[in-house]
Amino acid sequence: MAKSKSVKVKISARLTKKRMRRNGQNGAKHCRFTDNPEMIAQIDYKNATFLRAFLTERGKILPARISGNCNKYQRMLAREIRKARTLGLLPYCAPHI
Amino acid sequence: MFRYEVLMLTIPEVTKDEVAAIESNLDKITQQAKGSVLSFERWGKYRLAYPIRKNEYGVYCLARFEMPATDDVLKDVNTLLAVKHEGTVMRFLVSRLDPKAPLTYSRPTSLEEAPTKSASSFLKEKGLMSDEGFERRSKDFEEETESHDMDVA
Repeated sequence: MAKSKSVKVKISARLTKKRMRRNGQNGAKHCRFTDNPEMIAQIDYKNATFLRAFLTERGKILPARISGNCNKYQRMLAREIRKARTLGLLPYCAPHI
Repeated sequence: MFRYEVLMLTIPEVTKDEVAAIESNLDKITQQAKGSVLSFERWGKYRLAYPIRKNEYGVYCLARFEMPATDDVLKDVNTLLAVKHEGTVMRFLVSRLDPKAPLTYSRPTSLEEAPTKSASSFLKEKGLMSDEGFERRSKDFEEETESHDMDVA
């Protein structure tokens, strides 16, 4: 009765990701605005089509943890998104159906 | 001299005269402060992200002006849009511009600029309706009506 025992090895997803990041295999997070004046010029409350890329499906502001923006430009983006929201160019939340 | 810009959201039923009245009033205020209006653009009709004053649509206008910095004049601009043109202007935002930055900007395309298609050409493109199918259906309908007439006779 030789039963092959399957051995479960616990691998933490968080730790593997951390290791990947340390080794630089998965690509380090990089802000798309730093050292890119053309992109910075696009951050404007009138440019609603561009700002829409930084909203979630439900209309929330995408966190910097996801978009990879650095703090300086994340604040700039959030400010312009809030301006565009008051003018009705961007939604506060997704419309009810 | 400082540069300012105002983005106004007006009601969708706004007429040309009302837009011209806002422009002339802005021009009057800035000229009293020894400034000038640089540009006044009507963006066109847009679908709003959420209803404002129970309106699903709105017309945007962007005005840019230049004048020596005085808070009183900015207050005048605020009262002009918030009180005098209260019926037409739903929302507005006054912001100061960087004097060195270029005046170019990008904006979303309005409903007036968007390309329009007729329903039949759209359906043909999607393959939902062929020329033959449509003809056959109309023929069937004619036959039905004929038979119906026979029964009555």
